[in-house]
Amino acid sequence: MSIRDLLWQLPSVGMAWRNLGRSRVRTALATLGIIIGVVAIASLGMAGVAIQQQATSNLGGIADEVTIRSGTDSTTDGVTQEQVDRIRDVAGDATVIPEKTNSTTLTARDGSERFVSVTGLTRASTLYEVSSGDNPDRLRSGALLTNSTARQLGLEIGDPVEYDGQLYRIRGLIESGGGGFGGGSELVLPLSALRDQNYYDSVTIVASDGDEAQRISDAVETRFNEGDEEILSVTSFASIQENVGSFLDTLNLALLGIGSISLIVASVAILNVMLMSTIERRGEIGVLRAVGIRRGEVLRMILAEAAFLGIIGGFVGAALSLGVGLVAFEVLAGDATLVFGWASVRYLLLGFGFAVVASLLSGLYPAWKAANDPPVEALRS
Amino acid sequence: MSTSVIELDGVVKRYQSGEETIEALKGVDFTANRGEMVTVIGPSGSGKSTMLNMIGLLDTPSEGSVHLDGRDVTDFSEDELTEERRSGIGFVFQAFHLLPMLTATENVELPSMWDTDVDRRDRAIDLLGRVGLSDRLSHTPDQLSGGQQQRVAIARALINEPDILLADEPTGNLDQDTGATILDELTRLKEEEDIAIVAVTHDEQLVEYADREVNLVDGEIGE
Ligand SMILES: Nc1ncnc2c1ncn2[C@@H]1O[C@H](COP(=O)(O)OP(=O)(O)O)[C@@H](O)[C@H]1O
Ligand SMILES: [Mg+2]
Repeated sequence: MSIRDLLWQLPSVGMAWRNLGRSRVRTALATLGIIIGVVAIASLGMAGVAIQQQATSNLGGIADEVTIRSGTDSTTDGVTQEQVDRIRDVAGDATVIPEKTNSTTLTARDGSERFVSVTGLTRASTLYEVSSGDNPDRLRSGALLTNSTARQLGLEIGDPVEYDGQLYRIRGLIESGGGGFGGGSELVLPLSALRDQNYYDSVTIVASDGDEAQRISDAVETRFNEGDEEILSVTSFASIQENVGSFLDTLNLALLGIGSISLIVASVAILNVMLMSTIERRGEIGVLRAVGIRRGEVLRMILAEAAFLGIIGGFVGAALSLGVGLVAFEVLAGDATLVFGWASVRYLLLGFGFAVVASLLSGLYPAWKAANDPPVEALRS
Repeated sequence: MSTSVIELDGVVKRYQSGEETIEALKGVDFTANRGEMVTVIGPSGSGKSTMLNMIGLLDTPSEGSVHLDGRDVTDFSEDELTEERRSGIGFVFQAFHLLPMLTATENVELPSMWDTDVDRRDRAIDLLGRVGLSDRLSHTPDQLSGGQQQRVAIARALINEPDILLADEPTGNLDQDTGATILDELTRLKEEEDIAIVAVTHDEQLVEYADREVNLVDGEIGE
């Protein structure tokens, strides 16, 4: 049995196929309308997912951290030890890392000098990745230096650096940018090295996840800051992530809205095309009814035409959207294959489903009208 | 003995057009029997098509009754009438009314297309052979002459083995000679299939082929 015979097993489908073949240009234009609608919905939706994934991966682990600094209403020029202890109470199991920061000038072997930022802390291992050398859980002696600074100054592991008249041996080299938002310092020293400074410049809390970070951040706020007063300034990246997340959700919704509007426009176009073609074929449909074709059969035939438009348009649209999605994910998330994840694939299905449903809905009225046209009236026309 | 397949009793048909009511049929009595060809003749606007629509169950009378094979079908619903048309009535139109995207064979199959009937195709091919179109099976209407198209239409009218074949000006769009061959065809099929044929025309030529002639004047059967 050939495909043609198979098609005619479902006469409505066979008839619909022939009818669409009669005015190819009109069929093509109607399909094009759907394709545009589907591409709009699916590719905007997928682009939204790509943006979301890229934003989430950029924010990364930062969302788990809370950074506390002295606020504008504080009477001290930094965070006091007493405040740190109270923060520890609030933080529970989360790691609390008080830091003192400063800057100094390091001298290279060849005598050249370089101005570097300095931080003093004990829990260096939590905030910094060491690329060579060792990174003790508690930094009591010695120093960590960023790779790039070490290279510029020609320093190696084991070489001494001087801070405040004291020498510290370099124990490890670190990647730059550790330790919270805004990047870390170039030279990491034991807290004792900055003992001249009474107060801590910042306290970083590393929580187990974003929700926990948010909870700690809120607790610190209520504990230290009454009303509008700002004793401690609390920066939580969890709330930033949440804001970014909800912004992206809104963006996605807006993109989908734009997509849906184009699909609605496409369905109106289909409604128009179907209505025109059934009006043009009024006499023909009258003949069908006269020779005994049932109303339901006429209805199915015309709905099948609409469904064909939707399926073809939806399929081509989804295929094009997949292409757009591949590009969007390559550009935005750096990995084209992420497009095959459910988060974005569901937009392809959504676009396709939308196309079929919208086409069927648009076909409903013309089909109903044609099926219920009295055959005598239709034949007279 | 002949059996009446279709019977109109005192059929009145009124049309409302605007304020005016047109009485297209004014109490028509009519019967047609198996194996006979009846022509309804009358001037344009006399109500011939309206009468044929009543016989063909395409429309319902304003007054009077319609019997098909002895059953009163006057008050049938549109869906019931559709079933009767499908199984018992064949139509041939003046303008042929073939579907342009279907081949001759498919056009003949059309009335039974939605039936799950396996030898529909064979019967269509057989019918096309009987109207002399064996070599035109997969031609589309635009590849056929007017006379050939009307033969396809006749074959289509016969696909469901009707009891009655209705033809509204079947030769109206054909030249004299082609018209004659179509009428020959109908006469032969009438005998072979033992069906009633009701043909409507304003063309005297058709009368020669008729077993019986009915004159319709201004919505009334005359003498
Ligand atoms: N659907 C209709 N609405 C209004 N008037 C109609 C309708 N159908 C037929 N008529 C009128 O009924 C009369 C008979 O028409 P018709 O049966 O078509 O005549 P014929 O076929 O003999 O030419 C004409 O006056 C025509 O205008
Ligand atoms: Mg007429």
